[in-house]
Amino acid sequence: MFSRVQIFCFLASYTVALVLEASRLWFRSGIRGAVMLGFVVAGWIAHTLYLYNSAIAAAAAGQSPLSSNQDWLLLAAWVMVMIYFYLACYHPATHFGIFLLPLTLGLVAAAHLADSKPVAREPATKIWGMIHGASILLGTVSVLIGFAAGLMYLEQADRLKRKRQPFLKLKLPSLEWLQTVNGRTMLASMLLVGVAVASGIVLKLLSSGQDSPKVPWSDPVIFGTIAMFGWLLLHVIIGVFYRPIRQGRKVAYLTLVSFIFLVALVIMFVSGKHGETAANALHALPDPARSAFQPDSTRQARWGSFPRKGGLA
Amino acid sequence: MNVQVVGCSHHGASIAVRERLAFGPEQTSEALGKWRDAFSDVEGVLLSTCNRTEIYAASQSAPIPSLEEIGGFLARFHQLDAREIVPHLFVNSDEAAVRHLFGVAASLDSMVLGEPQILSQVKRAYQAATEREVTGPLLHMAFQAAIRVARRVTVETAIHQHRVSIPSVAVAEFARQIFERFDDKETLVVGAGEMAEETLRYLRDEGVRRITVVNRSFERACDLAREWQARARPWEELHAALVEADLVISTTGSDKHVVAIEDFRPVRAARRERPLFILDLAVPRDFDPAISDHAEVYLYSIDDLQAACRNNRVLRDKELPQALRIVDQETRRFMAEMYHRATGPVIQQLREGWHKLKEDELRRLMNRLPNLDERARAEIPQSFDRLVNKLLHPPLESLRDESHEGVPHGLLDALARLFRLRD
Repeated sequence: MFSRVQIFCFLASYTVALVLEASRLWFRSGIRGAVMLGFVVAGWIAHTLYLYNSAIAAAAAGQSPLSSNQDWLLLAAWVMVMIYFYLACYHPATHFGIFLLPLTLGLVAAAHLADSKPVAREPATKIWGMIHGASILLGTVSVLIGFAAGLMYLEQADRLKRKRQPFLKLKLPSLEWLQTVNGRTMLASMLLVGVAVASGIVLKLLSSGQDSPKVPWSDPVIFGTIAMFGWLLLHVIIGVFYRPIRQGRKVAYLTLVSFIFLVALVIMFVSGKHGETAANALHALPDPARSAFQPDSTRQARWGSFPRKGGLA
Repeated sequence: MNVQVVGCSHHGASIAVRERLAFGPEQTSEALGKWRDAFSDVEGVLLSTCNRTEIYAASQSAPIPSLEEIGGFLARFHQLDAREIVPHLFVNSDEAAVRHLFGVAASLDSMVLGEPQILSQVKRAYQAATEREVTGPLLHMAFQAAIRVARRVTVETAIHQHRVSIPSVAVAEFARQIFERFDDKETLVVGAGEMAEETLRYLRDEGVRRITVVNRSFERACDLAREWQARARPWEELHAALVEADLVISTTGSDKHVVAIEDFRPVRAARRERPLFILDLAVPRDFDPAISDHAEVYLYSIDDLQAACRNNRVLRDKELPQALRIVDQETRRFMAEMYHRATGPVIQQLREGWHKLKEDELRRLMNRLPNLDERARAEIPQSFDRLVNKLLHPPLESLRDESHEGVPHGLLDALARLFRLRD
């Protein structure tokens, strides 16, 4: 029964939760909070089952589980939902969902468009691939949380400066809290993207010298990731010497710039062949190195009957 | 049901009367002990706040003390003349008393509509009476229902969200939106007005610990600092104090700006763009409004706060009908439950009588049919049970329906006569 779970199931649950969250701006209700969290939990369970099914299907086909571009985006969305759930439980009066759920839905939608071919196989040799992918995943979540916090900061600061009532009944955290989240997500993003870049370089070195397709330095995703890392590093270094850049509107604007970098990267990632090329590059390597990125062209064929192929149907 | 409330509140009694009838925590405990001695069969709860002193009394069987008796009790405790007190007291009975209690707990009867302290005061009053063993089943039910109603009003309306006094608006709607915590913040008080003191009280509730007082008269600053457990600094150090401050409350009587934009520029440079929250409660204003142009400065004048208060008052008034509807709904539900409780003895007699008949008939049947198999022996009692329950269902439902409008004396009497139930 659970194998019939599709992306649409949790996409719909999260959308309903977002609609309920938005309705808080217009009217109050005693049971809406519980219903809203119920939809989030239901969606998250479906989301988990979908990832579980995907991992099982990949393992059954001799693939590395959860290693496709689609899987990584869905995992990032899965982490985002957990963070939202935590915030919604501990700060029930604050409208986090207005900012976090659209980003989650965006990730799920991007996942639907992304390639579902696996990037890695043979678990014993995939450690660098795992580090690379996990750091990109967590870096994505960190940038998205920072972006949401940045938007909330700018709205809250603008309201307080203009001494106006909140837009509708929008309730946001304090500026101090948002500034702390902004600062920490910027630092976390820098570290995680740094790890992603470093592990990516290691992977490229592993594939060098082989007569095989290689990931070129000019690959837009590599170029974009390095540029983003440079931007985040520059911000952290300047912040050490010039404290004001780490506070107030400045840090909020910086998180917005990071988000623009991220969106560009996701578009390149979804539309490009970064993962596939990386896998092909390692195809000719002797074990154990090559197996980390070898794609399995038969995987999709083997998934012919697997419901995820139905995508948003 | 006998429930009654006797007391005085800000609606009908001046502060002079309320002060004379007020009870401190220890006096409340002592008074409850005396209540138990004077009216041993009557449950009681004494609620005393700065806006009201009320005694809730209830009893299932004993007569409730009259307004004069309770007035006399209050007067004796405070060693006053009862004739001076009684004219200022009000009395509500049964449904009106329950409605009043629910309204008080939900803060719909407060001087500042929606103020949050009253619920904890009601809880404390109930707890004190329970500890002195003066409460019983009726007041337990009434006060627990009142707490539930107050929570419902809080959840289902926004009546508690909109502050209406200037210091509370300054703290709840602005300071708390800027700072997450206050225990690590430096608060600077410039001058010494009454409003500053009240604002400081709210800030202390939020956790403010580090306070600095700057006043033109250093002696006065020292006096205030002693009173507020704060630190005093001479007037000449105002700018240095501004550099360190996170929150500023200013209430001097100066006829021109105490801090002009030119004065603020070096302060800002030294602060390195740390957020600064300024409450300028002085008229004319102490801080040059141009200071507010800096992005990290959140400057609020008394006019800004008054405008927020006015908005909140309008928003709060909009929520009042919904809150009153909740109180009305809950009162009717509570009264129906109470009236239904009064039918308990009749229901019990009816059940017991019919079940006894069932048992007798069942025994007789089993004696006559000794050869029944096990399955039949198990099935027949269940069938009898179903029959009795189905026969009981219509009269019990009728009793429940009739209980919405009051104790159904007519129906109870008819049932007693029809089925020969004894009192």
